[in-house]
Amino acid sequence: MKSSIVKNITNLMLPFIQVFGIYVILFGHLSPGGGFAGGSILGASLILFRFVNGSSATDAKFKYHYLLRFACSALVLYGVLKGYVFASAFLGLHDIIGIGTPGSLLSGGFIMPLNILVGLVVAITFYFIAVLFEEGELEHADLVE
Amino acid sequence: MQNLIKLIPLASIMILMLFAFVIPLLKKKKHVYKLTLVIMSLVTVINLIHVVYIALNGGYLFDVGHFPAPFGIVLRIGEVESGIGLLFCFINLMVLWYSYFSLEKEIKSNRIGFFHTLDFLLLASLLGIVFTYDIFNGFVFLEVSTLAACGIIVVKDKKANIKAAIKYLILSSLGSGLVLMGIAFVYSISGHLSMSYIHEALIQNAEGKHNLILISMILFTVGLGIKGAMFPLHIWLPDAHSSAPSPSSAILSALVIKAPIIFLIKVYYLVYGTTILSGTVVLDLVLFLGVLGMIFGSLFARSQKELKRMIAYSSVAQMGYIFFGIGLGNKLGLIMAIYHIIAHAVTKACLFLSAGSFIEQTGYKTIDEFKGIGKEMPVTLGIFTISSLSMIGIPIFPGFISKWNLAMASIESGKILLLFVLIASSLLNAVYYFPIIINGYFGEDNLVGKVFNSKIRPVRTLLPLIILSVVMVLAGLFSGFIIEFIGRGIYI
Repeated sequence: MKSSIVKNITNLMLPFIQVFGIYVILFGHLSPGGGFAGGSILGASLILFRFVNGSSATDAKFKYHYLLRFACSALVLYGVLKGYVFASAFLGLHDIIGIGTPGSLLSGGFIMPLNILVGLVVAITFYFIAVLFEEGELEHADLVE
Repeated sequence: MQNLIKLIPLASIMILMLFAFVIPLLKKKKHVYKLTLVIMSLVTVINLIHVVYIALNGGYLFDVGHFPAPFGIVLRIGEVESGIGLLFCFINLMVLWYSYFSLEKEIKSNRIGFFHTLDFLLLASLLGIVFTYDIFNGFVFLEVSTLAACGIIVVKDKKANIKAAIKYLILSSLGSGLVLMGIAFVYSISGHLSMSYIHEALIQNAEGKHNLILISMILFTVGLGIKGAMFPLHIWLPDAHSSAPSPSSAILSALVIKAPIIFLIKVYYLVYGTTILSGTVVLDLVLFLGVLGMIFGSLFARSQKELKRMIAYSSVAQMGYIFFGIGLGNKLGLIMAIYHIIAHAVTKACLFLSAGSFIEQTGYKTIDEFKGIGKEMPVTLGIFTISSLSMIGIPIFPGFISKWNLAMASIESGKILLLFVLIASSLLNAVYYFPIIINGYFGEDNLVGKVFNSKIRPVRTLLPLIILSVVMVLAGLFSGFIIEFIGRGIYI
C-alpha cells in the first residue's frame, strides 16, 4: 500500500485491534466470544499489517517457521490439557485447577487456557491462509532439512 | 489396571493427534521417521493388549469427558471395533515402515514431515469413526479423515495428484453433506445423537414416519457409499489411488474406504435396528449395487493399462463383495463383510506396496512393461503373486474363506442365483491378475538383457511386505478363530 495516510493510521490502530482480540480470548468464558472469535480478530490484525507494510517487512517480522512452531506447540498443549481432562474424568482423579469464583477472570477450570491456545492456532492459521492465497506457497515454512 | 485398559481407545486417538503436531517441530528427517515408528509401534501394541482384554472380558461403553450418555460423547468398544482398530494400526505401522525406505523417491524431501502429520491425523480420525457411538461425532471424524486423505494424495505435488485430490474433495464433501442431512432427518424424528437413544426413539415413533426414515437411510447409504466406493459412486477412486505415492495408495485402499463401511454397518444395525431395516428396500439396493460393483469393477480393471490403476479398480470390485455381504442381511453375510474388510485391507496393502516397488525400481508404469519382472525382482513378484492368489480366491488364503462363506450366506438367504455372480467375479479376478504373474515369471519377449536379481531390493527393505504377507496367510489359516471372534460382537 503506497498511501502514507493509510499506513500511519493503520499502524496506529493495530495495537487497539490486537488488544481487543486478546480481550475477546481472555473473557471468552464470561462473555460472548472465545478462542475462535478472538483468534480471528488477531489473525485479521496480522493480515492487515501484511497488506499495509508489504510482504518483505512482514516476513522479516513474523518468520513462518516460528509461527508454525507456535501453532504446533499450542495444538500439542491443547491436546495434553484436554487429554488430561478426559482421562481424569474417567479415572475419577481430583481436578487440580478447581473452578475458582464464578464471574471472575480466573474461573471456569480449563476453559481459559484452552481458549488462549485455540486463539493462537486460529490467528496463525488465518494468517497462513491469507499468505497462501497471496503467494501460492509458504516458503521455508517447513523445518525438515 | 482395568480402567487403564479401558482408556486405550481414547488414548490411541489422543496420542496420534498429539504426535501429529509434534512432527512439524522436529528438524531432522531421521528424527521424524524414528518418532513415527516408535509411536506407531506403541499404539499397535496397546491395541493388541486391548483386543486380548476384549476377547477375555467382552465389550463395554466408554463415556468421554464429564457428561454421561444422552449429552456427552460415548465410545462403543466391542469385538468388531477393537479388531478393526488393531488392523488399522498394524497396517499403518507396516506401511510407514515400508515408506521409511521408499518415500523420498516419490515425494520432495521437505514434504516428509507433512506426510507423517497427515497420516497420523488420518489414522486418528479413522479410529474415531470406528469406535464412535455418537453419529455426530462420527460425522466430525469423517470430515477430518476426508481432508487428511486429500492431503496424502496431493503431497506428491504433480498435476495428476492435484486433479485427483480436487475430484475426491468435491465428491467426498458431497458425501459428508448427505450424511449430515441424514443425521438432521434422524435428529428431527428422535431428538438424540447417541445411537442407542436414537434407536429407542425410532422404535417408539416409527408409526407413520416410514418415508422419513427411508429418506434418512438412503441419505446415509449414498453418502457413506461415496466414501466407501460403492459401485456407481466410485469414480473418484481410480484417479486418487493410482496417482498418489504408493504408501498413500496402500493406506487409502486398505484403511480409508473401510472406516465408512464400519460406520454404515453401525448406522444400519445400531441406529435403525433389524426390524426397521428389514421393512425397507435399502438392503436390496446395497446388495444390487454390490453385485454390480463385483462384476463391473473387475471388467474395468481388465481394461486398464497401468498397473496401479488396475489394482485401484480391483478395490472397487472387492468393495462390491463387502456390500454384497452387508446386503444379504443375515448374520453370516454381515460377519463375512467384516472378515472381508480385514482380508482385503491386508491383501491390498501388500499389492499396492509391491506394485509401488516395481514402479520405483524400474521406472515403468504400464502392465506390458512388467513382462519378465520376475527375473529381476523374484521376491517382490512372489509377494504380489500370493496376494493376487488371495484376491482370486485360492484355498487357505483369506479371499477364499470370505468367498466361500459369502456363497454359504447367499444360499442361507435363499438367493441361489447370486452364486453365479460370485463365480463369475472370481473368474474375472483371475483374468486380470494371472497375466501379470505369468508374464512376470515366464514372459519371453521382454527378457532380453535382463539379469537375474538385478533390481532386487535388500531384504531389510522388504521385511514389512513379508510380514504383511505372512499375516495375510495367517488370517486365512486362523479364519475360524477370527470369524468366531467377530461373530461374538456382531450387531444383529
